[in-house]
Amino acid sequence: MSAASKTPDRHDAAARRAVMAHMVAHYPDRESSLAVARALLAAGVAYLEVQFPFSDPSADGPVIQEANSAALDAGFRVDDGFALVSEITRDATVPVYLMTYASLVVSRGVEAFCSAAAVAGAAGLIVPDLPFDYDEGLYAAGKAAGLEVVPVLVAGVRDERLAQILGCRPESVYVALRAGITGSETVLDDATVRFLDCVKAAGCRVFGGFGVRRREQVEQLAPHLDAVVVGSQFVRALAGAVDEAPGNRAAAAAAVGAAARELVWGTAAASQSGAPAG
Amino acid sequence: MQSRYNDYFGEFGGRYVAEVLRGPLDELQHEFCAAFDDPEFHADLERVRDQFIGRPTPLLHAVNTSTELGGAQIYVKLEGLANTGAHKINNAVGQALLAKRMGKRRVIAETGAGQHGVATAAVCATLGLECTVYMGEVDRRRQRPNVFWMELYGAQVVPVRSGAQTLKDAVNEALRDWAASFADTHYLIGSALGPSPFPDMVREFQAVVGRETQQQLAEHGLTPAALIACVGGGSNAIGFFEPYLESETPRLIGVEAGGRGIETGAHAARMLGLGRTGILQGYKSKFLLSEDGQVAATHSVSAGLDYPGIGPQLAHLGESGRVEFRRAADAQALEALRAFARNEGVIFALESAHAAAAAMELAPQLPSESVIVVNMSGRGDKDLFITARELAPEAWKTFLSEEEASL
Repeated sequence: MSAASKTPDRHDAAARRAVMAHMVAHYPDRESSLAVARALLAAGVAYLEVQFPFSDPSADGPVIQEANSAALDAGFRVDDGFALVSEITRDATVPVYLMTYASLVVSRGVEAFCSAAAVAGAAGLIVPDLPFDYDEGLYAAGKAAGLEVVPVLVAGVRDERLAQILGCRPESVYVALRAGITGSETVLDDATVRFLDCVKAAGCRVFGGFGVRRREQVEQLAPHLDAVVVGSQFVRALAGAVDEAPGNRAAAAAAVGAAARELVWGTAAASQSGAPAG
Repeated sequence: MQSRYNDYFGEFGGRYVAEVLRGPLDELQHEFCAAFDDPEFHADLERVRDQFIGRPTPLLHAVNTSTELGGAQIYVKLEGLANTGAHKINNAVGQALLAKRMGKRRVIAETGAGQHGVATAAVCATLGLECTVYMGEVDRRRQRPNVFWMELYGAQVVPVRSGAQTLKDAVNEALRDWAASFADTHYLIGSALGPSPFPDMVREFQAVVGRETQQQLAEHGLTPAALIACVGGGSNAIGFFEPYLESETPRLIGVEAGGRGIETGAHAARMLGLGRTGILQGYKSKFLLSEDGQVAATHSVSAGLDYPGIGPQLAHLGESGRVEFRRAADAQALEALRAFARNEGVIFALESAHAAAAAMELAPQLPSESVIVVNMSGRGDKDLFITARELAPEAWKTFLSEEEASL
């Protein structure tokens, strides 16, 4: 579908693809990140994933890593993160997930972290370095707080391991489509497609991504997923805007909004009638 | 007898990794256990220890220092005489042989002081493995000579410019590499930390230091009152202490980096109440963390001790009381380095000099017939650019200026 053939003021509902947009809380600063969240929601993303920055994000690539460092340099505290999520979820009509690393969760205390996330209106938690069998009680605490805990899978995980993870009956799973870190380009091969279809057949929502940059990738992945996760691409767009016009919040949010519309709708143009609700 | 594979040590240890690394770690655990049951693997290991590392390393009676201090007899395990200059080679050899056994063609490693990187690069050269070493930019600068050696051995040294640009950041970068490369690559971690089975595996490969020391002491009819080792991640300490972990004696003393003094905040001491229980880089242990769980800045004159975490088994042994922890400040380590050079003709690595400083403090408190053994885990050649600047600044400056002028 060619973007040029679309009129700029209307979006075609059939063109909409479900995207889970990742963003880093307080990058480049608190207010900008709030504006980014709103721009992503207005662009029509299906899910929002808000990352609490960590000093040592070892599963993230350089783009997200730098955003984490910048947010910490700007003074991010975990309490600020919960406050930001509260403000985002107040207006959001789509589920907002909170992603971070084990260190932040266990330092707060797993139960305290879960209850704060629930109070802030988060739908669930994504903590890649707390797998179900080394979870410090996260899965039970999430359940008690009414939060989903979303396991992070990797395409190609061994069958018995997959069976164990699905045996925890997660509502959703998050699949890293490339063995590696965020930000490198994903290629969808037959084995991966079979893997995704197998996970989906188990009855969970499947979020998948890592390295999704272009609308064609979204088109290719969308039939096999409940939402295509896009992370580094939006952070990259934001970083570019911040470099070009430091301190210009509107420009930063607009850059991320355009990048999101491109992937959600196949066109970066804004809808005058406002984005359809999720 | 303690088990070879424990996973947890009390509440510490574990395998807190993203799913992508779970498969490679499961495979490694399996191979580690299989290799240790295989006499052929041990035969290979023995051959390399004999011909390449240069084992056994000597146990020196530091007569002059002992006499001068007027207390316990100080013995020094000269582990720094091993090929490449430190105990790091014991683990590098073991894991590299394991990597070969697993059919990996490439090895990656992190390094702080550069000793683990140099050891890994050397082993890879002799075993025909491709080698990439991640090193924080700050460490690259302060341990520049080791970068030359690694490159001479044919390794690629990748500077890490994220975070604090020291050892922990090099570990992060190595983990990132491994997450994408595990199919043909082994991550040869340099200390007794990280996700299981690394803490168990590194202890087993370093235990040769303690077992040899135990035998050497027995040959001299000596019963040690205390064993002393420096603790960064803690691989030299856990290997040195290993034969004695299940018994009540001797005293086992780990020495952390007191840096510029605990009160300044510029240190790397995690035990004795300064560290918080946390999870970082795949394992649960004591770390220097903020209240939120962000990793705190650390400082030590020795790059090898400049790390915010401690191996999980040592954290547990510290909590249980089997291992006592002490600290030595930068200045004390330099003083010990000077004393042992003058008295014994032995130059400690800055890391190991922390253990020497603690021994000098302890010896006068003990009777002259008692024996304490210090692990000189590394020798100090690599620190020339730091020690010369600290101990003889003017002469060193003149030398460097002349060198530069002659280029």
